[in-house]
Amino acid sequence: MNYDLTPEQLSIKENFAKFCTKEIEPRAQMLDEATHKEVDKLIKENIKMMAGIGYLGMGHDEAYGGTNLDLISQAIAGEEVAAACASTFLSCGASSGLFGVPVKLFGTDAQKKKYLPGIIKGELIGCFGLTEPGAGSDAASIKTTAVKKGDKWILNGTKTFITNATIAEVALVFAYNDREKGPGSGVTCFLVDKGTKGFSVSKPFDKMGFRGSPTAELILEDCEVPESAVLGAVGNGFIQAMQTLEYGRIGMATVCLGIAAKCLQHANKYSKERNAFGKPINRFQEVSFKLADMMILSDVSRLLIYQASWAKETKNPESAVLASVAKVWASEAATQISSMAVQIFGGYGYIKEFPVERLYRDAKLGEIGEGTSEIQRVMIAKDLIRKYAA
Amino acid sequence: MEFGFTEEQLMFRDSVYKYAKKEIAPLVEEADLKSEFSMEVWRKLGDMGLLGLPFPEELGGSGADVVTCCLSGEALGHAGVDQGHLLALGAHTYLCMDTIYKHGTPAQLKKYIPKLASGEWIGCMGLTEPGSGSDAASITTSAVKKGDKWILNGTKTFITNAPVCNVCVIYATIDKKLKHNGITGFIVERDYPGFSTSAPFHKMGVRASATSEVILDNCEVPEENLLGEVGKGFEYTVETLSWDRSALLSPFVGCMQFAMETCTKYSQERVQFGKPINSFQAIQHKLADIKIIQEAAKMAVYRVAHDKDSGKPLNHMHTSIAKAIVGDWGMKAASEAVQIFGGYGYIHEYPIERFLRDAKLGQIGGGTSEMQRFIISRILSYF
Repeated sequence: MNYDLTPEQLSIKENFAKFCTKEIEPRAQMLDEATHKEVDKLIKENIKMMAGIGYLGMGHDEAYGGTNLDLISQAIAGEEVAAACASTFLSCGASSGLFGVPVKLFGTDAQKKKYLPGIIKGELIGCFGLTEPGAGSDAASIKTTAVKKGDKWILNGTKTFITNATIAEVALVFAYNDREKGPGSGVTCFLVDKGTKGFSVSKPFDKMGFRGSPTAELILEDCEVPESAVLGAVGNGFIQAMQTLEYGRIGMATVCLGIAAKCLQHANKYSKERNAFGKPINRFQEVSFKLADMMILSDVSRLLIYQASWAKETKNPESAVLASVAKVWASEAATQISSMAVQIFGGYGYIKEFPVERLYRDAKLGEIGEGTSEIQRVMIAKDLIRKYAA
Repeated sequence: MEFGFTEEQLMFRDSVYKYAKKEIAPLVEEADLKSEFSMEVWRKLGDMGLLGLPFPEELGGSGADVVTCCLSGEALGHAGVDQGHLLALGAHTYLCMDTIYKHGTPAQLKKYIPKLASGEWIGCMGLTEPGSGSDAASITTSAVKKGDKWILNGTKTFITNAPVCNVCVIYATIDKKLKHNGITGFIVERDYPGFSTSAPFHKMGVRASATSEVILDNCEVPEENLLGEVGKGFEYTVETLSWDRSALLSPFVGCMQFAMETCTKYSQERVQFGKPINSFQAIQHKLADIKIIQEAAKMAVYRVAHDKDSGKPLNHMHTSIAKAIVGDWGMKAASEAVQIFGGYGYIHEYPIERFLRDAKLGQIGGGTSEMQRFIISRILSYF
């Protein structure tokens, strides 16, 4: 048992904090308020900048330009990115994580060679298409189909809430190739390049938060892809998706932690400067105890994220549950913390001229994206029932 | 950074768990109901070597690290041992013995530690007074040197183990004007003239631990029973916080595990509307919340243990976070557990009722939840 960061991890923390505070954070508000068109341009620049300091390659093999660092190091860097700009974290994560990780884990050598170097350099952006208008938590109920026709696969269906859809050069698309086999062996994942016949993207959604990260639908109308577009093997798609989402849960927990830590930093500073009744408001327990709660909640988020990362890294049998635990805690902590931050800022918390307004809107996604809090709790409970009531 | 335990630590936890489940857990229900400290439980804890874990073998201990001490507390709680006896163990081993061990003279160590480690003697620690709780530096119990004796006068309250103790580490002030710097520790034996204890309190929870006042009425303490240095007592109490926030909190983590498993089983057996109640999401939600809180508490408590094992100075942020999580979130977990049991959660015949009453102490004892937030926010104000 050792709670200490290694010297390398400490320097990752320091370097990312320095870079993100200087280069990324000043752009966060601009991204949030930009038009859709501007967002696409600005976020691509941010992804490129993050790639420049090696962020997108941290989880990838050296052979493709990555640095193959452990998940705790990735969480440490991720917290700093998210604290500076949650949208940047999300778009980088969707590209090198949700897209890049399954390619790394399940892709053929040719697929890895084709996509990973570009992803790691930030020159190529990827996205992950599982969710559909009618299939969210119940991911096995997706309707998108894949039919083999000669040496091609024909895809039909719509994917929604797809982060990076408007800026992605390539998408992972999950579709039923054999509905009778069920999700376990009847779903296949396809790599669909932008420009493929029958593949298009809707106009981006207007979201409550994460406005600096574009989200849209992927539309597949008799979309033709070659056999080589199958990720790994036919029929493995659902398992690939579930394994990817385990990483995704840790990622979503991490972005929530970054948002929470930034809220605490702003609120703590403001409460020392703001005077009321003749003294700084942090001298009142109604304010200072909120700050203490923000600290407790965010600090435990960090511990649970590190634990989940460690468990995944060491192939601990509890890793899936611990990822869900971290995700529920960190996301609900972030919504509470951001709400307390707005409250401490009072009227200033309610206007866009101060940053906690954006953080409050951003925080809410954590309880929804990558599996809602509700579905996490169902999974945690089912694991307990399997262990202790069988 | 890694959060695993060594093979040896895991084997130890397992052996404590099995022993406690078989030998101790069956005894605690009655003790709790009657509010009686069980000497049989105490002897069994002593027989297994659990009363002197962190002390050197030559003094009757096992030389265990802090993480192992926490694993012991966790295993005992997990096995279903009540928080009352575990609090008695905590006060005895970590608040009384460890302070003697750290600051006592070689003669004091030789005289007290082996007897306490075996469980032959029971120890306690007296700091809190009727008028001095969170504001601990405001104690008024006085110590005056008279010839080769110290004369102590005052009343200590909420003292765990006082009614059954043989020896007590008492904090008194040599001069109230000196505030923190006047507070001094003494090793006071039960049969010293002027030492007495009140009738035990009737507590809401941790009922099998005996709690009362310690009354010092011109209590005569021999010179050689001064503990450490004059005026250093307050520092000693702060040092015990690292135990208070690790080994004394670890039973709460174990009890959460106990509740989680018990509730999962019960909710499978309990059938309503034609199916086990754990097939309803409202119940699943509560089970998940208990698990989430248990993980949070475990991570926060073992961090304090790791800090202490690595010889770091006391990190007040870490200790206060651990205490607040165990106290406040622990209450939420306990309340959910009772809710899963419904009416059966409200009666003593089922173990979950006790769990809720015991959990409440986590928000009060050894520093209230409010004090933890006070400490955390004071540290934040420096940043």
